[in-house]
Amino acid sequence: MGQFIQQLINGLTLGAVYGLIALGYTMVYGIIGMINFAHGDIYMVSAIISVTALTLMSALGISAVPLVLALVLIIAIAFTSVYGWAVERTAYRPLRNASRLAPLISAIGMSIFLQNMVQVTQGARVKPVPTLMPGGIELFTHAGFSVHLAYTQIMICVVTVVLMVAFTGLITRTSFGRQQRACEQDRTMASLLGIDVDKTISYTFMLGAALAAVAGVMVTVYYGVVDFSIGFVAGIKAFTAAVLGGVGSLPGAMLGGVLIGLIESYWSAYLSPEYKDVATFVILILVLMFRPSGLLGRPEVEKV
Amino acid sequence: MSAHAVQQSSGMLLADRLKDAVRIGVVALLLGIPMLGLTTADQGAGLQVLTRWPLLAQFVGVVFFGRLSLQWLVSHFHLRKLQRQRVAAKTAVAQERPWLKWLGALALAIAVGLPIAFSGNRYVIDTATTVLIYVMLGWGLNVVVGLAGLLDLGYVAFYAVGAYSYGLLSTLFGWGFWETLPVAGGMAALFGVLLGWPTLRLRGDYLAIVTLGFGEIIRIILVNWTDFSGGPNGINSIPRPGFFGLEFKPPGDTPTFASFFHLEYSANHRVVFLYYLILMLALLTNVFVSRLRRLPVGMAWEAVREDELACKALGINVTGVKLSAYAIGAMLGGFAGVFFAARQGFISPESFVFSESATILAIVVLGGRGSQLGVVFAALLLVVLPELGRDFSDYRMLLFGAAMVLIMVWRPGGLVARREPTIQIETPAVQGATT
Amino acid sequence: MKAALKKSVVIAGFGLLGMLSAPAWADYSVGIAGPMTGEYASAGAQIRAGAEMAVADINAKGGVLGQKIKLEIGDDACDPKQAVSVANAMVNKHIVFMHGHWCSSSTIPASDIYNDAQIPMATVSTNPKVTERGLKNIFRIMGRDDQQGGVGGGFLAEHFGSKKIAVVDDKSAYGKGLADEMAKGMQAKGAKPVLRESITAGEKDYSGLITKLKAAGIEVVAYGGYHTEVALILRQAQQAGLKLTIMGGDTMSNNEIVTAAGGDNANNVLFTFAPDSRLEPGAADVVKRFRDKKVEPDGYVLYAYAAMQLFQQAAEKAKSVKYADLDKAIANGSFNTVVGTLSFDAKGDLKVPAFRVYQWKGNKYEYFK
Repeated sequence: MGQFIQQLINGLTLGAVYGLIALGYTMVYGIIGMINFAHGDIYMVSAIISVTALTLMSALGISAVPLVLALVLIIAIAFTSVYGWAVERTAYRPLRNASRLAPLISAIGMSIFLQNMVQVTQGARVKPVPTLMPGGIELFTHAGFSVHLAYTQIMICVVTVVLMVAFTGLITRTSFGRQQRACEQDRTMASLLGIDVDKTISYTFMLGAALAAVAGVMVTVYYGVVDFSIGFVAGIKAFTAAVLGGVGSLPGAMLGGVLIGLIESYWSAYLSPEYKDVATFVILILVLMFRPSGLLGRPEVEKV
Repeated sequence: MSAHAVQQSSGMLLADRLKDAVRIGVVALLLGIPMLGLTTADQGAGLQVLTRWPLLAQFVGVVFFGRLSLQWLVSHFHLRKLQRQRVAAKTAVAQERPWLKWLGALALAIAVGLPIAFSGNRYVIDTATTVLIYVMLGWGLNVVVGLAGLLDLGYVAFYAVGAYSYGLLSTLFGWGFWETLPVAGGMAALFGVLLGWPTLRLRGDYLAIVTLGFGEIIRIILVNWTDFSGGPNGINSIPRPGFFGLEFKPPGDTPTFASFFHLEYSANHRVVFLYYLILMLALLTNVFVSRLRRLPVGMAWEAVREDELACKALGINVTGVKLSAYAIGAMLGGFAGVFFAARQGFISPESFVFSESATILAIVVLGGRGSQLGVVFAALLLVVLPELGRDFSDYRMLLFGAAMVLIMVWRPGGLVARREPTIQIETPAVQGATT
Repeated sequence: MKAALKKSVVIAGFGLLGMLSAPAWADYSVGIAGPMTGEYASAGAQIRAGAEMAVADINAKGGVLGQKIKLEIGDDACDPKQAVSVANAMVNKHIVFMHGHWCSSSTIPASDIYNDAQIPMATVSTNPKVTERGLKNIFRIMGRDDQQGGVGGGFLAEHFGSKKIAVVDDKSAYGKGLADEMAKGMQAKGAKPVLRESITAGEKDYSGLITKLKAAGIEVVAYGGYHTEVALILRQAQQAGLKLTIMGGDTMSNNEIVTAAGGDNANNVLFTFAPDSRLEPGAADVVKRFRDKKVEPDGYVLYAYAAMQLFQQAAEKAKSVKYADLDKAIANGSFNTVVGTLSFDAKGDLKVPAFRVYQWKGNKYEYFK
C-alpha cells in the first residue's frame, strides 16, 4: 500500500515533466505537422541555462527560495525561447514547403548540433547544483514503509497545473490562441484571412521552448544533476507521450505524459525495471492499434 | 513569404542591411550569453560561474559582419541567378538522366579500383567498406521510405537481427557466412512483417514513433536477455568469412588464402576481401531493387506512396503491398547486418542504437528519396564527413550536425531528387486535360 | 543540379585524397583513444590530459631513443564501430604504441586491428574478456573486474555482512560484469544479496528502484556502473528518507560524484580502486604539476601518464620500437611508473593487481578505515 502511494507520487511527478516537454512537441506538430526532434535538446539547453542561473543566484547571495525560483524561471524561459525561435528560423522555415521528411532530417541534424554545441561550450562534465528545497513531508507509515512527499515534488505538480491552466487560457481565450488554432487547421486559409502565419509559427516555437524551459528548470531543481546528453532520452519519452495522447491535442500530451510516468514508475517498482521502456512502447503500440490517432487525438480526415 | 523574398532579391539599401544585421547580431548575443558568455565550472567546492565576454564579443562580431557580407553578396550577385537555376533544374530533371547514368558508372569504376589504387592503406579501404555498408542499408531502407513512402525510424532493428543471427549461428553452431546469409535475411524479413502488421493502419508520424519503439524494444531485449545474446557483453570472436573455404590467417597447417595463392601473408588481404564482398552484396542489392521496381510489386509500392486511397479503390491489396515493402527492406538490412558482424568480429547492443537508424534515414532523405545514386553520395558524405572531422576532435560532431541542417536546407529534395514514378505513361497532354 | 552534383563529387574526392596523404613520421607516433565526445567524455578528457603531460615530459627529457614522440588522439565516443575506424586510422598513422581504448566494448574490436597491425597496446578497460582472447599485443595496466569485484564483494561480506545488501547494475558491459563479480565475492564469504536489480544508465529518475530498496529494507547497495547514476540514486534516496551506503568500482573515483550527490551524500560511497598513486611519494612531482595546470590527477589521468612511461621505458630497454622487440620487452619487463610498478602475466594482465577500498570524505577520497 505504502509502496503503491509512493510510486503514484513519483509517477505523477515524472509524468508532469514528460507532459510539459510533450506539450511543445504537440503544439509544433499541430501547427506545421513535423516532429521536432530537437525539442528534447531545447529542454537540455534550458536545464544548462538554469544551472548557470542558479549558480549565479547563490553567488549574488539571493537565497529566498520563491524569489530564486521565479528569477531562474524567467531567465530560463527568456533565453530558451530565443533558442526555440532561432532553431525554427534556421532549420525549419526554409523547409516549410518541402516534403515531410526534409524537416525531420534537419531536426535530427539540429539535435546533434545543439548537443555538441553545449558539450563544447559548457564542457562534458555533469553539472550538479545544491538542493534548492531539501526535505519533504512524511505522509504516513504503512507496514514499516514510510511514504515521502518531497517539497520539490509538490512544486513540480503545482507549477505544472498552474501552467496548464494558464496555457489553456492562452490558447482558448486570447487572439494569439485563435490565430494559432486557425493556422493549425488551415494555414493557407489563415493567411488569406490576414494572419501572419510565419509569425504565428515562430511564436508557437517560442511557446513550446518556454514550456520545455520550465521542464528544464524543474528537472534541474528536482534531480540536481544535469549534463549535455539528457535531451535525447527525455525527448523520446516526451514524443512517445505526445503520440500516446494524440499528437496535436494539448490535454492529450499531458495525459500521455502522466500515463507514461505512471507506467514507468509502477513497472519498475513491481516488475523488472530493465524492461520498463519495452512496456511503455508495447502499450503505445497496443493503444495505436485500436486508436490510430492516440487517446485524445482527432481521427485524421482522409482528403480525397 | 513571397513578399519577403521579393524584398530581399530586389536589393536592400545599406540602412536596411545594417538594420537586419543588427537584428541578427542581437539574436546572436541572446543565444551566446548563456552558452558562450557564461559557463559554470567545478572548482573544488561546487560550481562557480565563469565569464567569457571576449569570446562572446567575437561570436557576435562574426555573426554581425558575416550576416552583413552575406546579405551584400546575396543581393548583388547570387540570388537571382540561383533562383533562375533552381527553376531550370526542376524542369530539366528528365533530360539529365543519361548524365546521372554516367556518374553511376564512374562511381562503380572508382569503387572497383579503389583497393588497387590504395593498396596497403587499410584505413581508406576500411572506411570505404563502412560507406558500402551504409549504401546497402540505405538501399534497403529506400524500399520502405523512398518507394513505399512509409516512415521507418527503427530500421536498425533489422540490421541487429541480421548481425545477431550470424553472431549466434556461427559461434554456437559453427555456421559459415554463406549458409547464414539467407537464414538471417529470412529472419529479418519475418521481423519486418511482425513490425509491419500492427502499424498498417498508422500513418506518417504515428508510424515514426512505433517503428522507433520497435527498434528500441529489440535493443533492450538484446541488452537484457543475457543468456541468449550475451547481454551488454555482446558476442565475441565471431569467425570471419573465408575465400571459398580459404581462411585469412598467418600460414599454418591448413591451407590459407596466402599459402594457396603463394602470396606473402598480409593482414590487408582480409580487409580487401571484405571490401569486395560488401561491394558485391551492395551491387546485388542494387540490381535486385531496380528489378523489383519494374515488377508489379514495385509499381504497387510507388502507387501506394502516391495515393493509398486510390489504390484501395482500384482493388490493390494495400496490406500485402506494405508488408512486402517492409519484408524486403528488412531482409536487405539483415544481409547488411550479417556482413557487419562478420567484419567487426564483435557485436554488442551499442552498435544498434537509435542514432544508427537516424543516420540511415538521413542517408535516404539526403540522397533524395527513391534515388539509388543519391544514396551512394549521401552515404559517402555522412561517413566521410565525420572521418575527415577527426582532426577537429571536439568540433567533429558539431560540424556534422550543422552540415546535416545546411545540406537539407540547401537541397530539400535531396542530393539527387527523383520523385516521379519509375514507369510513366507518356501522355502529358491528356493528363493536362483531365486535371 | 549538375553543378551541385559535381560539387559533391569533388568534395568527396578531396576527402579521399585527404585521407590518403600519408603523414611524415620522423618522430615516433603514439596513440591514445577514448570517448572524447559523448556521454563519457569526461573520462576521455582525463586520458588526454594525462597523456599530453606525459608526452611533453618525455620530450623535454630528450624523447625516446633520441626521437621526439608525437601524440595522436582518437575519439571513439564509446561506439564499437567508431573504435574500429579509429584503430584503422591509428594504424595508418604508423603509431608504434597505443594507450586505449576506455570502454571495454571499444577495446575488444579495436584490439583485433592493433593485433593485425602488430602494435602493442596498454589499456585500462577492466572487462575480463579484454585479455582472455589470446592476443599477444594487449597489456592491461589496471586490475580486472573479477578481481576488483571479488575485493569489493569480500569487503562487503566482512564489514556489512549483517545488513541487507542489494546488488544493482546499469546493464553496461562494465557495470554488469562488476556487479556479478561483487555478488560472487559476497557469496564466497557467506553473505547473500537480498535483491538483484538493474537500471538504465542515462536516465534521471530512479525512484522506482529506491522504492523497491526501501520496501525490502536495504541498507547497502553493491553497484556496478558509473558515478553519475550513483549520485542520482543517493540524492533520490535521501529525498525518500532512505539512508544508503553504496559500494562501487573504479569509476566512483571521479570527483564529479561529490557535488552531484549533493550535501555530504558522497561520504556514503565506498569503492575499490588501485592504490592511490597520488599518495605515492614517487608521483608527488607529477601530481603537483597537474594541479598547477588546474587538472586534478584523479581517475585515469595518471594511468594515461603511466602508459606513456611504460612505452618509453620498454622502448629504451628493447632499444627499438619494432613490435617484436617492444612487445617482448613489455611482456618480460617490470616498469616503474607513477601508478606503481607494472609487470604482466602471460595473458597481459597485471601480476600484482592491488585493489584498495576507498571512501569519499568531503571532496577527497581516502583509504577506508
